[in-house]
Amino acid sequence: MKKKLTSVLAAAVALAALLAGCGGGGNEPAASGSSPASESPPASPSESPSPAKAENFTMSLRHIQIGEPQKFRKAILDDVVKKTEEEVPGLKFELDGVEDSVNRFTKLPAEMAAGNPPKIMSIFGGAGDTQKYAKAGRLLDLTPILEELGLKDKFLNVLDPFSVDGKVYGLPIGGNTEGIFYNTEIFGKYGLNPPTTWDDLIKAADTLKENGITPFAVGSKGAWVPNMTINTFIGRLAGPETITGFTTGASKWNSPDVVAAYTLYKEWVDKGYFTKGELGKEYGDMLNDFVAGKAGMMFDGSWRSSAFKNDAVGAAVAGKVAFVSLPPLPNGKGDQTSVNANYGEGYGFSSDMNENELKAVKAFIKNMYSDEMQLRGLLEDGVLPSMKLSEESIAQVSDPIVKQVLDVLNGAGVTFPHFDSVVQSKVYTETETQLQKLIAGKATPQQVADAIQKVQDEENAAAAK
Amino acid sequence: MKNALRNPYVYVAFILPTIALYFLFFIYPMIMSVYYGFTDWDGLNKPNFIGSDNFATAFRDPEFRSSMLNNVYILLFSCCVQVPLIVVFSLVISSVKRLQGFYKTTVFMPSILSTSVIGILWGYIYDPDVGLLNNLLKLFGAGPIYWLAESKWAMLSILITNAWQWMGFYIVLILAAILAIPKEIDEAARIDGASGAQRAWHLTVPLIKPVVNVVIMLSIAGALRVVDIVLVMTGGGPAGATEVMASYMVNKAIKYGEYGYGTALAIIIFVFALVLTAAYQILFARRQERLEY
Repeated sequence: MKKKLTSVLAAAVALAALLAGCGGGGNEPAASGSSPASESPPASPSESPSPAKAENFTMSLRHIQIGEPQKFRKAILDDVVKKTEEEVPGLKFELDGVEDSVNRFTKLPAEMAAGNPPKIMSIFGGAGDTQKYAKAGRLLDLTPILEELGLKDKFLNVLDPFSVDGKVYGLPIGGNTEGIFYNTEIFGKYGLNPPTTWDDLIKAADTLKENGITPFAVGSKGAWVPNMTINTFIGRLAGPETITGFTTGASKWNSPDVVAAYTLYKEWVDKGYFTKGELGKEYGDMLNDFVAGKAGMMFDGSWRSSAFKNDAVGAAVAGKVAFVSLPPLPNGKGDQTSVNANYGEGYGFSSDMNENELKAVKAFIKNMYSDEMQLRGLLEDGVLPSMKLSEESIAQVSDPIVKQVLDVLNGAGVTFPHFDSVVQSKVYTETETQLQKLIAGKATPQQVADAIQKVQDEENAAAAK
Repeated sequence: MKNALRNPYVYVAFILPTIALYFLFFIYPMIMSVYYGFTDWDGLNKPNFIGSDNFATAFRDPEFRSSMLNNVYILLFSCCVQVPLIVVFSLVISSVKRLQGFYKTTVFMPSILSTSVIGILWGYIYDPDVGLLNNLLKLFGAGPIYWLAESKWAMLSILITNAWQWMGFYIVLILAAILAIPKEIDEAARIDGASGAQRAWHLTVPLIKPVVNVVIMLSIAGALRVVDIVLVMTGGGPAGATEVMASYMVNKAIKYGEYGYGTALAIIIFVFALVLTAAYQILFARRQERLEY
């Protein structure tokens, strides 16, 4: 009898231990993420001459190139992945495609908090993204890799939003500017001039409105979309240097010039220049409305240009779309040719890497940030290069919209960034909340600006500590 | 073996694994969240203890207060509109002679669908351009209503969708109670000359009161933790018009990385729900005597 009792007890204890083990085991791979790779004997020669013997390992790669409009970018990524896998013996990438804003605002922050971000990830520059994660020690310092690959001086002056204390933690894949896409067919039909002057723009908007066509397609369910327009309004109405001044205290959200930008936006909402019910529309709906000819214009990033190719999602209006910057504002301050230029989106790398994975990262950077891929990005996808390309390379651009985008940038006296890569994340959040309130008519431009400035003051004070 | 089963330690050994798991996945996280509620943890850096600052901020935060109010709307809607409707529907279905099973299944169907599916489905119904609802309105010459994009309509749209999803479940609960009432009671009343409405109101409703109480309790608890339908359909928009406490908490904690503050909000929601359900129990449910038939 005693024996039986002991065996029952022993079995119970064993079961408990087993279950407890399960609990721990569930966490472990998530925490280190690299267990299969780290098990490989470190003694194995790193530059293995016989790839057949190489230890197999997988690396997670988070990208945001999902859906039809992103297919050109995905193709470039796929080629880089393939090439890197060929070069690094045993490497297998696990591609994990997540929608942009879900990745940026939900998934990646949670993974960063848990300490298990993907090894390679799509990341944005600025105080709310790369710099925040870099300061918390989550991202790999790329400075030595850039030195080794000789890439340091190849980049345009675009690495600041990805740097902390002179060290680089992320690499922008390309750039864009935000401006007006317009449907030349609709403009022709109503005898409208291209919206290159303020009067022509307003006349076009009024005429379209009268004819039952939405002047500007917009999808404000995600407030980052109307924030693009606000950003350029601020840059033009308050001067291009305003945006970088928010964090230093040199400029204020509730200064009259910035309030004027919000007032102008509200005026356009009230005049019916934007899609009706914009607060219920997604970013994708905006493109759909524009492509379907329900709207004559849209204010969007130049990355959208690839959607208007013959084999892309916006094929219905291929060849009928043109791009201009916002025309000079009559009461604007500073250089009225100034445009927004962003080099915000790129790749970052987890700081938790073993030797094999570091090798893979090096190969990935070498392949992704090459003249070839930069040129492909420009030609196939309309993404402006983030690295220095030769004149001849740029001259190969044949896509008319991309040419117009390049013209806009070449014609710009100065450029200014988007405030989402400048201000702290809490401030950016507040701009989204407040802008939606403005659109919904729940707050006046002055109230909006005051509320944002309040958060800005708090964050600036916290940063100064 | 008999001896072994008399030994209390054997029982302890058997429940130990369960207790361990319960502690690991329930008690420990709960204690930790109470702790994090008093810190400024942002998920990346070390949490600093900041006392009750988070709670003070929460009650001063106008967005949180308005989301609390939205929860109260949902609560009132489910108790004052949904529950009476549920009882009426149950009474109607219970007196249907033919195809009762079909009606039961039909009303129950929405509650087995996932909320995301329902959110997307109703998103199409509410669509301003191609949606069913606006097309119906057009037949009567009414202009398009931006159901999910206008502050004044968005909350109502969510309430209707939420009611559609959950009413069936409660109807089936109440239906079971109605069908369990012995036929003799109803027959006796009929012989005494009571009309259908009289029998329903004076006989059936009092007899199913205990179940109605349970339904009200579940509705209160459900109204306070509703979040999925909001996240799928509007994400709290337009401009916070449909933000509820839980969606605000999710946004703050996950999207904006304010884990400390988010945890504090979670604790507030927990206490709020606890107090309300307890109050209902003490004030209403307990007063009723148990019915025997």
